[in-house]
Parts: sequence; C-alpha cells; structure tokens
Amino acid sequence: MAQASAFDPAALAIRDGLARQCSLAWERLASAGTWWTGAERLAIAAEVRRAHACGLCRRRKEALSPYTAEGSHDGPGHLPLSIVEIVHRIATDAGRLTKKWLYSMFESGVTEEQYVEAVGVVALITALDSFDLSLGLPQRPLPAARPGAPSRHRPAGARRDLAWVSTVAPEDLAPGDPDPYRIHGAKNIHRALSLVPQEVLNFFDLDVELYLKDHEIRDFAQEYRALSHVQIELLAGRVSALNGCYY
Amino acid sequence: MGAALEGDGSGVGVPHGSILVEFGEAMLRGDAKRRESAREAVHAAMGAAAMVDAAAIVASFNAVVKLADGSGIPLEDFKEQATAGLREELGLEKLNRGAG
Repeated sequence: MAQASAFDPAALAIRDGLARQCSLAWERLASAGTWWTGAERLAIAAEVRRAHACGLCRRRKEALSPYTAEGSHDGPGHLPLSIVEIVHRIATDAGRLTKKWLYSMFESGVTEEQYVEAVGVVALITALDSFDLSLGLPQRPLPAARPGAPSRHRPAGARRDLAWVSTVAPEDLAPGDPDPYRIHGAKNIHRALSLVPQEVLNFFDLDVELYLKDHEIRDFAQEYRALSHVQIELLAGRVSALNGCYY
Repeated sequence: MGAALEGDGSGVGVPHGSILVEFGEAMLRGDAKRRESAREAVHAAMGAAAMVDAAAIVASFNAVVKLADGSGIPLEDFKEQATAGLREELGLEKLNRGAG
C-alpha cells in the first residue's frame, strides 16, 4: 500500500537497470557515433533543447500547415542550417513531417545516414530530458564530448523499401554488419533506425528499461513494474495521443 | 482504448487512472505548477516506485514518436488492420494521407 509522504524528487530511488541505462545513454550521447562525432552529437542535443523555445517552431506549431510560417530558427549553434531545421522539426513537430520535406533536406546536403543518426540523437535526448522533467529534476547540463571518430559504416543490406529512409530487413543482414535486432526484436519500429544499427541499440537499450522489454509487453501473467500493464498502457496511450503518434 | 485517448481516465476501471491521465497531460501540456501537482498526486496515491515508472513511461512515449515520425516507418499490417477504425475516428488517417 502506497503511503502519502512529502515528495522530494532528489530522494527518488531509480531502479538499478533504469539508472544504469540512463547513465549509459548519457555516455553514448557524448561519444562518437557512426556518422557524427561526440561533439556534433552533443550539438544536436543542445539544438533539441533550443528548439522548444524557438519562435519559428512555435509559429509553425500553431499554423495549420508548418510550411506557411517562414523565418529562421532561433539561436542556431554550431551546426549547418539544414541540420538545425531537421532537429527543430523532429523535436517540436514530428507528427507533421513529410517525405517531401525529408528529401528536400537530403538535397540540401545532409546525407541519409547523418539524418538517421540525428533522429536517434533527438530521440535519446528527448527520452533523457523527459524523464528528468517528469521526475521533477532540473535539466542536466550536457556532458563533455568524448574523443573519437565516427565509424562511417553503412550496412550492405540497407534499402529504401519500407520507410522514407533506408532500412535493413532482418533477412538482409550481411556478414560483418552489426545486428540491431538480436537483443530487442525486429518489429518495424526497431527497423526505423537500422541504417545506423548502433542507434537502434542506443535507443532501445534505454527504452526497454523506461517501458518494457518486447516479450514483457504482452505477458499479462506477470507485472514487471510498480505500474500494472493496464496502467502503463493507459498512460502510454494518452502520451502518444498528445504527441499525435500514429504508430 | 478510447479511454487512453480521451476523457480524464476516471470510470474506466483502471486503478488511479485519472491520476495517471492527469500526469501525462500535465507533463506534456501543463505549466510548472500543474506538473508539480501531478507528480505529488502520483507519489501520494501510488508511491515512489510508481512515480518513477510513470515518469519513465512519459519519457519513452515522448521519444519513440521521433523514431516513427522521423523515419516514416509504417505500422505492421496486423496493427494497421486492428486499429484502422480508431485511427480514422481520431483523425490520424488525415495526417498520414497528408504525409506523402
């Protein structure tokens, strides 16, 4: 039976597995990825934070169509403007992205691989910051960048046949390519970032601790959290609806 | 399913449903005062571990939408068929039709 007591966010005990994956996610955010350096990944994360106070993003969000609001994003940092546009749109209005917009970003010089990794970074910092905000903790300063160079490996089996971006079907995994599906499964949502396999692992290693592991989601015979399955799905459904998430 | 998307979560048979729905609404749409009140309500009614789990669910579902929308990955066929009516009712199909 839960007991009413003074709420102190700093005193909350975080589950071991969740605390471990949050810590790892912060490290991964600051480390060289497959197509971006650690410093560039952190610049993307910083841009996500700026996006929430961006005047252009706010006007677009309020507009019937985001393409009717013109102007520049507030306070761009050290990233090319096309990356700033990508990060701000995904951070603030992802539900109204279009294939046409995405391909115009590719034409502006952003590669498909850079884009997919940027999506992963946006998702990761969104999860980490949302968790702290929801707990009532202050936003953490971004960590220092770790040294290292991107590995720049594109999976041989990647094809543009399912999503707007190229993905790797499980049956198209080539020898020598990292397997993004072995641990967390191979549903479509796991395929979303599979052009950059490490981003699949970066996100879902954290996500299965935030939410549930794939096999736990429909295991109604057992509860894995302090919230029951039905409580989790009620809250998850409301958050998804507020985000306009079709998935 | 509709209870997750509309209403205040009361009367749907989910223990503390209205508190959880308000928590989700407050985290996404509320100001600092409303968020604080929502956290205190979850903590008082369900305890510290549930508070952590509720925050974790908000974090997860705030983030996973970026993967889905950013990549244009479709729903699996079986999910699409199972949720077709609901998505039409909610107007989500109009968004999808406009996203080509």
